[in-house]
Amino acid sequence: MGAHVLIVEDSALVVGALRILLEDAGYRVSSAGSVREALETGRAEVPDVMLLDLTLPDGDGLTVLEGLAATGRVPSVTVAVTGRDEPNVIQRCLEVGCREVLIKPMNALQLPRQIARWLAEPRSAPEP
Amino acid sequence: MSRALTDVPSEQRVAALEEKTEEQARVISELRNQDALKTQFLSNISHDLRTPLTAVITHAEILRDGILGDLSERQRESVTGIISGGRQLLDMVGEILTYARGAANQLSLTRSEFNIETVIAQVAALSESLTSRKRHELTIEVERDLPCVYADREKISHVLGNLLGNAIDFTPPGGKVWVSAKQAATGERGPALLIEVRDTGIGIAPEHHELVFREFAQVDASASRPHHGTGLGLAIARKFVELHDGRIWLESALGRGSSFYFTIPLRSPH
Repeated sequence: MGAHVLIVEDSALVVGALRILLEDAGYRVSSAGSVREALETGRAEVPDVMLLDLTLPDGDGLTVLEGLAATGRVPSVTVAVTGRDEPNVIQRCLEVGCREVLIKPMNALQLPRQIARWLAEPRSAPEP
Repeated sequence: MSRALTDVPSEQRVAALEEKTEEQARVISELRNQDALKTQFLSNISHDLRTPLTAVITHAEILRDGILGDLSERQRESVTGIISGGRQLLDMVGEILTYARGAANQLSLTRSEFNIETVIAQVAALSESLTSRKRHELTIEVERDLPCVYADREKISHVLGNLLGNAIDFTPPGGKVWVSAKQAATGERGPALLIEVRDTGIGIAPEHHELVFREFAQVDASASRPHHGTGLGLAIARKFVELHDGRIWLESALGRGSSFYFTIPLRSPH
């Protein structure tokens, strides 16, 4: 069974497209459309990878990562996926612990390979 | 019948003027607030448009790449059309966002030292399919030994891409387009890089020369207009050039082609 990817995204259209791509590449995919749902799903089974939209109906997507971190159940890789490309937004994502920030519309066809690479490469040490 | 202001005592005139000034200040402040709200709305809606666009483009790419099964040649063509349309929309969303940031004074420069000839070659390569489709002859002339420029490479590429794109769009098939770069003196500001994009296209009447650089301006709103954009391209180009302390202008007449020029001061990184 492939690695478990949790897509946190409130657009069913985007989830549908990513699910096709990732399942085709052999990943196990689950999804959550809100902060609350993402926290429940993530606590029930820590995903290997979390793709995290920042704007969710019940709050800021980054609170999902913070909430999971508070209970020690952090995914191996969390990547923010957002339509906002302001430097301060990107900076905050990285500070909270996102591995990367993908700006919509990202090159989704590359995602399966990118995920494999993130999982294979240990995270580089943070800058002092 | 009302009396003229000159008939009333001076204290009353002063009071009336003060009241009028205050009222005008209130109106100006209100208009500024409304303008800021409009800009914020444009920014929010543009960000939000990226999510459904992601879905459209990704679903279409899944089909195009045969992940759900092979497509016939015609089906692939059709799906490629969806992707192209999606990407065009995305470019327009990007332009609106850039405009909104410019209006809110949130644009900044990320300078590096680079060779303008390389940037011109890259921008020209991106336009190659368009120029060949319209059978345009594209000539690039770069002065020898031109010094490197210390500027925001991405923004300069954007300006060049916009000017070249317009030249191609507004030049009938079989026409000519030139891009040239040379060093020029700009008086007190010292040496600058002068870039010209010239075409044999439909041209612009002199009374519209200022208008084309205004936000949302389109000189020819007729159905025959070949280019349907946001009307922000040249306004953004001007903003980017002015952020570099450069200048952008044009020389053109109807039916006699256009020459767009911009300067970027040549300054040292140190």
